[in-house]
Amino acid sequence: MSYLEEDLKRTLRRIEPSAGFAERVLERANAPAPPEPSWWESLGVLLRPPCVQWVALSLVISFMIPAAGVYRKERQTRAEGERAKQQLMFAVRVAGNKVHRVQQRVLEMGRMDTRI
Amino acid sequence: MKMFGILTLCMLVGAAGYGQALDLKHLDRLADKASEKVDVTLDGSLLKIAAKFLSADDPDEAKVKKLVSELKGIYVKTFEFEKEGEYTESDISSIRKQLESGWSRIVSVQSKKDGENAEIYLKTGSADGGLAILCAGAKQLTVVNIVGKIDLDQLSELGGNMGVPKIEMEKPKPPKKDD
Repeated sequence: MSYLEEDLKRTLRRIEPSAGFAERVLERANAPAPPEPSWWESLGVLLRPPCVQWVALSLVISFMIPAAGVYRKERQTRAEGERAKQQLMFAVRVAGNKVHRVQQRVLEMGRMDTRI
Repeated sequence: MKMFGILTLCMLVGAAGYGQALDLKHLDRLADKASEKVDVTLDGSLLKIAAKFLSADDPDEAKVKKLVSELKGIYVKTFEFEKEGEYTESDISSIRKQLESGWSRIVSVQSKKDGENAEIYLKTGSADGGLAILCAGAKQLTVVNIVGKIDLDQLSELGGNMGVPKIEMEKPKPPKKDD
């Protein structure tokens, strides 16, 4: 018999279980199932490290992305509004200036007529 | 079918609103010849946005805010040229043609001194109101079209205050009574 066969035989030899093993197995199998954890207990898992770090990071990102979008939109609207305001002020200035000059000329002519 | 009717109505209302502004597209060809040009196009929605940004604390801006509250559009085109004769009479006559019906020319000033002709038109054909200003000089052309109700005196006041100093005209003195 080779050494290998001897090793295998020794390793795979039958070992008798300890006393009361069968009873213990049967006892566990017949025991009632442990109660399922409630939802807050499930959430509690997230608050244990290292899960809590990822949860915190996810929360920060999920708030920051929409906030950045809103901020960008706000800035864009403000820039458009300011540009429109400048254009409006300019347009009113040009229009008012022209009307004002025409009025002045009409008044000047009226004054000249009066002098004549 | 009902949807189609609503859509048609919306298109007609939109076209009517758009139709109140003068067609100044033909002036765009002058942009290449001009040494300086200004093109301001403020339709109803842009006017509302601009008005929101006008401060009530600034006296000029407060006046403009009040002035534009009933306006539906402001369109300004100004061209300044290096030399004379860059624009033709047909450029102006096509605008005048649009002002033939529904508009009244309230004043026309022709100055031989500086060669500038100015005309002011008021829209009389509809209750919406409107103003058109044509100023044609030897080297400059300005067209202003305001859609909506506007107070000319307020506008003139703003023109006198903003940038250009207001010049109070000396009123003719009543003749002295000789005893």
